[in-house]
Amino acid sequence: MLELRDVRHRYAGRVVLDLPHFALPRTGMVAVVGHNGAGKSTLLRLLALLEAPTEGTVRLDGAVVPHRVPTTLRRRVTLVEQRPMLFRGSVRENLVYGLQVRGMRRAAMNGIIAETVERLGLAPLLERRRHELSEGEIQRVAVARALALRTDVLLLDEPASSADRAAAGALYRALAAERVARPFAVCIASHQLEDAYRWADDIRALADGRLSPVTPENLFRVELPPGEGLKSVRVGTIDIVVMTDRVGSAVLAVPATDMFVSREPLASSARNVFSGRVTGMAIEQRGAGVHVRADMGGVELVAAVTAQAARELALAPGSAVVFSFKATAVQVF
Amino acid sequence: MDFLGEGFRRAWVLLSLGDSEVYGIAALTLKVAALATIISCAAGLPLGYFLATRRFWGRRAALTVVNTALAFPTVVVGLLLYGLLSRQGPLGGLGWLYTWQAIVLGDVILALPIAAALSAAAIQGVDARIRRTAETLGAGRWRTAWTVAREARFALAAVLTAAFGQCVAEIGAAMIVGGNIRGSTRTLTTAVALYTSQGDFGLALALGLVLVLLALVINVVLQVLQGRGHA
Repeated sequence: MLELRDVRHRYAGRVVLDLPHFALPRTGMVAVVGHNGAGKSTLLRLLALLEAPTEGTVRLDGAVVPHRVPTTLRRRVTLVEQRPMLFRGSVRENLVYGLQVRGMRRAAMNGIIAETVERLGLAPLLERRRHELSEGEIQRVAVARALALRTDVLLLDEPASSADRAAAGALYRALAAERVARPFAVCIASHQLEDAYRWADDIRALADGRLSPVTPENLFRVELPPGEGLKSVRVGTIDIVVMTDRVGSAVLAVPATDMFVSREPLASSARNVFSGRVTGMAIEQRGAGVHVRADMGGVELVAAVTAQAARELALAPGSAVVFSFKATAVQVF
Repeated sequence: MDFLGEGFRRAWVLLSLGDSEVYGIAALTLKVAALATIISCAAGLPLGYFLATRRFWGRRAALTVVNTALAFPTVVVGLLLYGLLSRQGPLGGLGWLYTWQAIVLGDVILALPIAAALSAAAIQGVDARIRRTAETLGAGRWRTAWTVAREARFALAAVLTAAFGQCVAEIGAAMIVGGNIRGSTRTLTTAVALYTSQGDFGLALALGLVLVLLALVINVVLQVLQGRGHA
């Protein structure tokens, strides 16, 4: 229902975002992943109706959002920036701000605030002022302030960047609980793939302001067997050796840059060695790297190599290839 | 030193006895300065906010004009205003020449650029995220402006002080368009100039002390207000 069409956005003449189409569904959580400078924050600012795209349109429920955004439309979307700001005053005053501007009655406001505070565990902070809060606490309060508004779309820019793992988990669990209570769209920009894989329904990768044709690579949902240390985990038709103490449902991610690519099996310490055939090759935006996709007997793996290495190995679709990676290169979420 | 001491002694007598002329002049000065401050800030603060937050063609030129107007000589403003308000001038029909209203007008012209330029600088000093946050939380234009202004309250209080300081201490334009008429347009600054030139140093000093006292009281009041709004 919130979408960008044919958007090209420029800063000082430089194209920072180039999206023929980007849509958020009415419900569900979309994670936009990408490196710093990929255009994630710009994308969120456009979706938050804070900026109008240089070219193209932003549409809400199919209707084009005008250049001068009516407050009624703006109130359907809210954004928590990566380094959020709290207004002067107490945490409580910050939490009621958005509800006050909507002309909500005090009783209704108090009910929503109490619920949000409980969900995010902010009760001890309610009377504190911004200079009495840590970065992580400010981030939590900012998320609560946005969540309390019950908007149709909630945009979060690196919402857990200042939080420790426990606080980040609590934050995502609160979001999940809120989504159970009412349907709304959440879009999270993050460079922490782990959070994206774990909590989002849909992951989209952004690179140099464009939606990347290569999805975040080599992800596998698995059931980890009991035990500690090295484990062999069945993924489709292959077995991947991982080093983890985790047990049960998890996601394995093998960074494409951690794969060794060769034409013949190498004598090395890599526990994972797979032979297959190249199915496709994608050149990165800047042309320096190549993503090599290969079918390893029914499972597709992606490796990133330099363009020079791809040339030297004479890689081409259909050619035989061997991918190797260490058990410790496999990330477990 | 005797001369100075005598001046202070006479000033003290005039002030403690509640000399009607001294207090009359002080009251008129306060009225004129307060009114001019209110008008110049009522126009200057929104103008400053607009210049600080909006991107439009000619914005840089507008800021340059406002900043240049900060250094406008007061006697030149008085002279131009005299031309406008004199019987043959385009505003002669108002009949304001040699009235306290003319002094207010002069003060507004001089204080408006101060209010606009300093408030623009104050608003520009507020973190841009405050404005964006207010907007993303659903605040309309006025509420957003109020939220940003609250964040810049210390700097904006200084703008008020500076504007009031300009109005209360102004002499060039007040002398030319007010005429320094006793009981009508004589302000503290024009009176100090007059009595000093007449050799009545005690009276001039008494009025000077009132002027300083006035500035002090206004500053203390503003500081108390600022203190209440801590963080």
